[in-house]
Amino acid sequence: MTTSPDVLAESGALLELDGVSRVYGVEVLVHALRDVDLKVMPGDFMSIVGPSGSGKSTMLGLLGLLDLPTSGSIRIGGVDATQLEDTERSRLRGDAIGFVFQQFHLIPHLTALGNVETALLYRGIKARDRRDRAMGALEQVGLGERYDHRPIQMSGGEQQRVALARAIVTEPLIVLADEPTGALDTENAANVMDIFGSLRSPDRAIVFVTHDLEIADLTDRKISMRDGQIVGDEQQVHETSTAR
Amino acid sequence: MSRFIELVGVSIAGLTARKVRTLLIMLGPILGVSAIIAAIGFSESSKGDLKSKLAELGTDLIVVSAQNTIGGVGGDPKLPVEAVARVDRLDTVAHVSAVIELPGIVTLPFEGSREFYQAFPVPVIAADGRLPAAVDVDVVSGRWLNDFDNANEARTAVIGVELAEEYAYQRNEVRTITLDGINYAVVGVLDKVELVPSLNTTVFIPPATAVADWGVEDEAPSRLYVRSPGATELTADVLPTVINLGGPEDVGVEVPSDLLETESQVDSTLTVLTIAMGVIALTVGGVGIANVMSISVIQRSGEIGIRRALGHSRATIAGQFLLEAIAVGVLGGVIGAVVGVAVVWALAELNDFVVVLNRQVIVLATVAAMLVSVLFGLYPSMKAARLEPLETLRLG
Repeated sequence: MTTSPDVLAESGALLELDGVSRVYGVEVLVHALRDVDLKVMPGDFMSIVGPSGSGKSTMLGLLGLLDLPTSGSIRIGGVDATQLEDTERSRLRGDAIGFVFQQFHLIPHLTALGNVETALLYRGIKARDRRDRAMGALEQVGLGERYDHRPIQMSGGEQQRVALARAIVTEPLIVLADEPTGALDTENAANVMDIFGSLRSPDRAIVFVTHDLEIADLTDRKISMRDGQIVGDEQQVHETSTAR
Repeated sequence: MSRFIELVGVSIAGLTARKVRTLLIMLGPILGVSAIIAAIGFSESSKGDLKSKLAELGTDLIVVSAQNTIGGVGGDPKLPVEAVARVDRLDTVAHVSAVIELPGIVTLPFEGSREFYQAFPVPVIAADGRLPAAVDVDVVSGRWLNDFDNANEARTAVIGVELAEEYAYQRNEVRTITLDGINYAVVGVLDKVELVPSLNTTVFIPPATAVADWGVEDEAPSRLYVRSPGATELTADVLPTVINLGGPEDVGVEVPSDLLETESQVDSTLTVLTIAMGVIALTVGGVGIANVMSISVIQRSGEIGIRRALGHSRATIAGQFLLEAIAVGVLGGVIGAVVGVAVVWALAELNDFVVVLNRQVIVLATVAAMLVSVLFGLYPSMKAARLEPLETLRLG
């Protein structure tokens, strides 16, 4: 699935949270998110920041369709994902969103290529095409030659780059990154952020969920959260981003 | 279809990634299936020699005996003189031979043995030329009684193979034996008759000679040996009527192989017990599958979470783990079948049994292993499908 205009909602947003609340617990209720509205626009290079407990992980789960809101709607390309059955929502998630996690979450018994290919499974893509596309994504993150290595044979930075390749191989509308440099040293972190920068495109949004203000400062749009609510949505202008 | 192939690939990759654990899960079905096949195979093979003997001897020999005197009281029971001719007319009969029992004759290989053979008399019967064909046995030495012997009331005799051993009779030896003091020339030795062992210790003489020497009134037979391939039961049923033409039912009919057949039946109690043991072993194996796979699901929750994040549905995840369970069951079942067959073969070899393998049992046991693995794989698969990706991915 590619980022074609017909999947865009009327508002032009790739993904739209509308009055979303998420309450955990049965007897003791925890309001992780309260009535949040958010539009993720094509070309967004944004960060969601906030202290622990501010609701940013809940936000990530909902943005990634890994969780369902207690109330409100989540629209992707005009489709309300909260109304879909698991199979359809899973398909939508696989098509529209690419994930990058702090802990990489590569499947240990698969090679780098196998890990990337996993994102292309069950989509009616021929084995050969799957392989070619996965290989292309690995080359894009500079790991083409390490395709047959298993995660245990790679450094943290390399593993995160494999995870990045896996996130983009489906050509998603949105790349969701959860503290992508949290487990990396400075050099590898910079390297990974460079790759993120190179993935920017007018059709795609890249969303970081982080408490790392350095990363947040690199983005064009910064959403600040506190106590389950969005308390700030600011555009940041800096020279590096315009250069890209 | 391509989805299914991809699912199979993912499942196989999951299984081969943890070979030792996969092997351990597989032990359950392997043990269960091999136990069932080995137990049933062993108990069947222990009767296998009887079965193969039965197959070799055939089950088409019928022995017809006179139960009572026909047309008179007292004396030895006899069938009508026409019995052979009547039986011979039946389409289903291949061979028929008549014999006359001659009781009370003391047979001696040499004079000094009188005391012994008076205490343990050797049966003497008058037999026609067709007896070897009827019992499907040839002579091992010399020849059988022929028409010339009969026409001339010749004092010739053929002896059973065990009697020949008893007499230390040499092959083609010229030898006489005495029947109540009358010398008879031994002209042949009849080979072992497995289905009618009494013939092995019998002396056979021509019927005409029996009439001449032993005061037999006519050639009315005491017994008939009938071969009826393919229609044994039917023939056995009609023989009394055919022989007596609807007269009093004084004709006994038996099929000697029936007895052997009963003996060769495997003890059903033992079979039930061994199958029960195998089923228990399989069930325990199934519990093992459920157990180990449940742990595996917890260990692989990260993998499950990321697969869900990558768009794999709950159903796909359940399918992946269920296929792993099925693969374990099928492979374990097949390995178990091979092991079971090997055990049966080895035990049969050790005990000198004929290997008997029941194909149905092998197929059923293997299928059962697969069903058990599906059944016990369901729970861990559901568990895997129900895992919440958000919880397993431990977001930062």
